[in-house]
Amino acid sequence: MSFSLFILAQTVNVTWYLLPLAMIISLVYSASRFELPDRILRRATWLFLQIIGFMGIVFALLWILSYKM
Amino acid sequence: MPIAPVAERQKPWEARNVYVALILAVLVPGLGHLYQGRIVKGLIYLFGILGLFLWGVKLGEGVVVYNLPEKGLTRKITLHYAAQFGAGLVSYPALLQKQRTTKNNNTIRQLDRPLSTTFTGSLIESHGDAEAGKLDGIITLKPESGEYGPETKGIFTGKLDGQPVKLELGGNFFLDRPIAAGFRRTLKIGVLGGVENGRILIGSIPRPFFDGYGVPPDPDQLQEVTGRLGKQHELALVFTWIAGLLNILAIWDCVQGPAYGFGDETWQTPNPDENIEKTKLDPPIPVTNVTTPA
Repeated sequence: MSFSLFILAQTVNVTWYLLPLAMIISLVYSASRFELPDRILRRATWLFLQIIGFMGIVFALLWILSYKM
Repeated sequence: MPIAPVAERQKPWEARNVYVALILAVLVPGLGHLYQGRIVKGLIYLFGILGLFLWGVKLGEGVVVYNLPEKGLTRKITLHYAAQFGAGLVSYPALLQKQRTTKNNNTIRQLDRPLSTTFTGSLIESHGDAEAGKLDGIITLKPESGEYGPETKGIFTGKLDGQPVKLELGGNFFLDRPIAAGFRRTLKIGVLGGVENGRILIGSIPRPFFDGYGVPPDPDQLQEVTGRLGKQHELALVFTWIAGLLNILAIWDCVQGPAYGFGDETWQTPNPDENIEKTKLDPPIPVTNVTTPA
């Protein structure tokens, strides 16, 4: 039990890296599309939410499919 | 607010020398933009791309940036390194470090000069791999002439499982190659005298940055690092790959401007007087009646 919790903690830690990674990708990608800072920030925020939302949906789907496995 | 015609707008990426900006952008993410005066974008690229790359290097304990083509293949640059290469100057050492590893780069069994540095590792039983405790402190070693020839002896001062300890060292000395992947260098030496007599110190000392950065790892070392760090090492690689690929977008933006940035900005209203003068100089083009074919 404790071992599986340890494994889960490790996995969770790695998953959290997704947030800053998605943030950087959103910012850099949006900066390469637009020139004005406020437009860059708005588009980056939207892209970040899209990425996280998509990943969240995939995560939820996999979690449901693997329920009680 | 009225939008000025495209031709009248000052394009910030054309304000300074484009070739200089290109070179700067290729070498350091964001530097080309800073040169052009596009400060916000420059900082986004600098901290975003370079930060992501260096974060990856940190996560992978330095065993991340390398070019290790498989023997027998004609391809001299691996896809792994090609992705990192886009990040610029931070990836270039990998092109040179492989050559440095082939010259006078052997493991050391006998020191030829004194060494004093920090040490982190474990105290191991002489028979078997049982760990007697964690060590953290300063190790001081020097070459000495022993009964059977030159020996490496020294002292470890620090903490064993949090308790202060001082150990006399000698025998079974091993020090990893000076130039190898990663920022830690494996060191092994026996303990002489005292309660810990016969046990062995196994751990690592710091390796200078330029001797560890960009060096291709041995298969054994790569296996050890990937086994120990697991997903963290994979993530470290992904970070550097993404950083390298993102910089291609940044370079493109530096030279050609944003993909569809123009058209969404608001521009200052031109001075009415200037408009009058301009109208006098450039009379409007008369619109001719165009008849559409029936």
